[in-house]
Amino acid sequence: MSAILEPTAKPQIDIDRSVGDFRYDVDYSYDAGVGLNEATIDYICDVKKDPAWIREFRKDAYRKFLEKPMPTHWASHDLDNIVFENIRYYLSQGTQASRTWDDVPEEMKRTFERLGIPEQERKYLAGVEAQFDSEAAYSNIKAAVGEQGVIFVGSTEGLQKHPEIFRKWFGKVIPTGDNKFSALNSAVFSGGSFIYVPPGVKVKHPLQAYFRINAQNFGQFERTLIIADEGAEVMYMEGCTAPKFETATLHSAVVELVALKGAKIQYVTVQNWSANVFNLVTKRGLAHEEAEIKWIDCNIGSRLTMKYPSVVMKGRKARGEVISIALANDGQHQDTGAKMIHAADETTSNVVSKSISIGSGQATYRGLVDIPPHHRGCRNNTECDALLINTHSRTDTYPTIITRGNRNACQHEASVSKVSAEQIFYMQQRGLNQGQAMSLAVNGFVNDLVREFPMEYSVELKRLIDLEMEGSVG
Amino acid sequence: MSLSIQNLTANIGDLPILKGITLEVPKGEVHAIMGKNGSGKSTLAKIMAGHPDYTVTGGDVLMDGRSLFEIAGPDERARAGLFLAFQYPMEIPGVTIANFIRAAIQSRLAEGEELEATDYYANLYAKMDALKIPRAFTSRSVNEGFSGGEKKRCEILQMAMLEPKYAVLDETDSGLDIDALKIVSEGVNALRSPDRGFLVITHYQRLLDYIVPDRVHVMVDGRIAMSGDKNLALELEARGYDWVTETAAEPALA
Amino acid sequence: MITAPESPAVIETNPFPHWFQREQAAALADYESTPAPTRRDEAWRFASLKALDLSAFVPAPEIASEGKLINASTGLGDFAARFVFGNNALVHHEAPALPEGVIVEPLDVAAYEHEALFRAYFMAQPVELGSHKYARLHKAMLTGGVLVHVPKNVEVALPIELFYWVEGENSSVFPHTLIVLGDNAKVTVIDHFKSADGARAFACGINDFHLGRGSQLTYAAVQDWSRDTLAFHLNSTLVGRDATATALLANFGGGYVRGESLSKLAHDGGRSVMLSMNLADGTREIDQHTLQDHAAKHASSDLLYQNVVDDAARTIFAGIIRVQEGESQTDAYQRVRNLLLTDDAIAVSMPGLEILNDDVRCTHGATSGGLDPDELFYMQARGISKKLAARLIVAGRFNSLVERIDNEALRDRLRAVIADRLGV
Repeated sequence: MSAILEPTAKPQIDIDRSVGDFRYDVDYSYDAGVGLNEATIDYICDVKKDPAWIREFRKDAYRKFLEKPMPTHWASHDLDNIVFENIRYYLSQGTQASRTWDDVPEEMKRTFERLGIPEQERKYLAGVEAQFDSEAAYSNIKAAVGEQGVIFVGSTEGLQKHPEIFRKWFGKVIPTGDNKFSALNSAVFSGGSFIYVPPGVKVKHPLQAYFRINAQNFGQFERTLIIADEGAEVMYMEGCTAPKFETATLHSAVVELVALKGAKIQYVTVQNWSANVFNLVTKRGLAHEEAEIKWIDCNIGSRLTMKYPSVVMKGRKARGEVISIALANDGQHQDTGAKMIHAADETTSNVVSKSISIGSGQATYRGLVDIPPHHRGCRNNTECDALLINTHSRTDTYPTIITRGNRNACQHEASVSKVSAEQIFYMQQRGLNQGQAMSLAVNGFVNDLVREFPMEYSVELKRLIDLEMEGSVG
Repeated sequence: MSLSIQNLTANIGDLPILKGITLEVPKGEVHAIMGKNGSGKSTLAKIMAGHPDYTVTGGDVLMDGRSLFEIAGPDERARAGLFLAFQYPMEIPGVTIANFIRAAIQSRLAEGEELEATDYYANLYAKMDALKIPRAFTSRSVNEGFSGGEKKRCEILQMAMLEPKYAVLDETDSGLDIDALKIVSEGVNALRSPDRGFLVITHYQRLLDYIVPDRVHVMVDGRIAMSGDKNLALELEARGYDWVTETAAEPALA
Repeated sequence: MITAPESPAVIETNPFPHWFQREQAAALADYESTPAPTRRDEAWRFASLKALDLSAFVPAPEIASEGKLINASTGLGDFAARFVFGNNALVHHEAPALPEGVIVEPLDVAAYEHEALFRAYFMAQPVELGSHKYARLHKAMLTGGVLVHVPKNVEVALPIELFYWVEGENSSVFPHTLIVLGDNAKVTVIDHFKSADGARAFACGINDFHLGRGSQLTYAAVQDWSRDTLAFHLNSTLVGRDATATALLANFGGGYVRGESLSKLAHDGGRSVMLSMNLADGTREIDQHTLQDHAAKHASSDLLYQNVVDDAARTIFAGIIRVQEGESQTDAYQRVRNLLLTDDAIAVSMPGLEILNDDVRCTHGATSGGLDPDELFYMQARGISKKLAARLIVAGRFNSLVERIDNEALRDRLRAVIADRLGV
């Protein structure tokens, strides 16, 4: 151990979540109460005026949720601390999203203004959906994009107004019983986006959704379905925040992507939940022939995140990619990864994951690469690098790679390291203080991945890391 | 008796690389092919050896009258007497040079005939000594961890041991310093014989100072654009490849 | 089904002392009450659990062809000691070159004559990579096996060679090699696991290695059970301060083969090199689990598994590097390379890391793929047929592991075994 970086001298990093740490009192018109039973589901169905098949879908999912055990035989036992009967499963002021900010109820509008959403919309977005607890408060798409036939609405509206597309793909990428939390989401889902991009349409600017939890003891269960028709291209970005509550909050989304022949979907997430949120999300995309699905994922917040974005490559020459950054601070566990299913010939996938563990933070990479029998020309490349900042920081790597047949190739590489004392010393010799040096080193570690994010997000990410690292050494 | 390439055309995928190559290397002669990167020189070498990535679309290559393309696998062509010294020799971990060359020689013997170990090693050591390859290399894995020069010397060693009828040397000079170049050239010259033909592929004239060719062919865009004696290499060195392109474009010389 | 000493009574035909027989009875009870693995057990995630049905197996009878086995038990030209077991019974032993003070004894003898050693080291390390149940069975059924003890500062120049044979349909054998090295001791040991016939058998073997400070162990195992044999090989290595253990496990036989290798670096400066070459052909399944457990500082571990999967065979590799809290200056490396030769071949890799200290250098990697076409072409261009080229490449991968063994006689022996098995 070098004298330059004594354990005690190492920076303690505190994530800056002050931007999202505020809340307003809201009078909810609809409240399903505390706890979950069949009546809760009926209440949600009634409020949302769900068709009969959705009611049946939800009830079937509820049964599966009850049947499924917690996945604690491989996952964190912290899951056992979720008390399902203490959670509020539905809270809204109505199911119709406003098309203009002026029509959004005052508290919600003020919330999103503080988070900078309307400003971002004006600057560079093709459309925005802003969800407040269970429902979208605002949902709009730029006229020029709408005129191309692009649909971007909340899931409730998508279900009601575009049933022919919605029903064809809903629940088809992620079966209800995929895991306990996908079953829970399927039982009580509300909010999330429904997007359809017609054949050949390339949406130039990103569509963005913002998910806000405002209420305490609340569970947010948005459901997003994105369909890019043949040759279409779209980028979707999601952000999220919640105030810092005393009690645990649950966020459990299901996101399904469908990229038809030759289509491209990029899905960007910057997850910055407050440190009391259990973030248990199921995300999967189906890539048809020559289609490409790319998940760009950054997890900074939450108490426990479990999220393994997946791509099922079911058409020849389909491509899947996951680019992932995770930052686990004291008391946080980022359990993230990727799943790549090569269900057709000549499919290729790429996974690059970088994690930083700070203090007692724990970052886990969990991956699956599966090449089912009798395919040829499938290739996967996976790289996982972990950086440990403090002596008691923790990282785990648990990949599973199933290769069948001699005509495919998989390669997995992982490394664990700390910031080199020599590197820090070099920078200090140039006049940087230890915090600045550390911050530069950490930024350097994730730099190639940060560049994969859209400009506005990457600037924000760098700023976040800088702020935290600099403020950490006193 | 010759290695005769006749109007050979070949593709990689749908892309034509060789667009009609004709040249003949009589036994006992050394021919050089010069050309810019991407002109198709290495492709020609690999196609003759039977690399699976290329498709022959027309023409033929006759080795002493027998079509190479009627000889199915690359190994059978090699056993028929064709040797290719690779531009980038492969590393084969865990397989020693001694075992590798022995397996190659053994594969040329009739069923049931065993290579005599003492003679084999005597022969191997003699040839290694000539090429200044330390004897300890016999137990090194093929090409693994070798320097550029060691790899090329090891290619010539294999050629010497396998005694081919025709040898194609693909950029054997690349990556060699002047000392290594001399050793390799001496090794090749020692193998020149009335019973053997050489096709030496190179980018630079330098090699041909050491391995003096009987004929020089210049390849441009998948064709032989110009042929001449050893002085052509010198002229090429002086005037550059553009001169060939320009000259060849004139119908009188085409 | 296998019958064991009826608990709790002591059986006169059991060669072990009564105190150990009582432990065996308890182990049997533990075996019986421990549930069989299920799909939900992470340690058995991809295993063919059907293969674990033990109902057909019986205690091995006395071997019929003792002389034949002894004659076939040849390997090294010169050796310090050679022990041959047939169906758990010691059928031959010689010790032409053992230095004074070195103990090589059958376990049942050792349990009496070297009771303190036996009590201190026999299965002292818990089996924690999934096969606890079968380790209990092993203990309950144990009759054969060897203790090798090299006292402080003694070096055994020549290798010790052990043969474990099984013979007869559904015979069960329980090989055990217990090696205890005093400080700065040095020894080389090779185990051969072989079938006398092509019959299906059950082998449940354990290796226990305990390395004293500064000691060096070089160990190789060549497993060549018959094609239908169900085999467990559970290894544990406890590496002492500044000690070095190098183990090379070759799996060439068996039907379902479960391997578990634990290297515990419990003292500062220890080093463990874990190598394995696995030839899965036919319908063989080789299911290997490893743990590089860093519970000390300045320790290093280096694991390289070379799997070759042919026909409709499969390999499973699940390895963990665990660096415990506070164990700084750790250098750990883990790599599995799967070479798949057919369209039906399956390779599952689960290389894992659990790192609880920042001052480490840990990397792992897993690659899977077919033969490199350029490598094949290069060899074909020298006149070597595709088939032979493939065998040479496989032998090359295996031989590159052999190079890491620090004993020339053993290297030569292993190269010969590889050449023989692959016909090159």
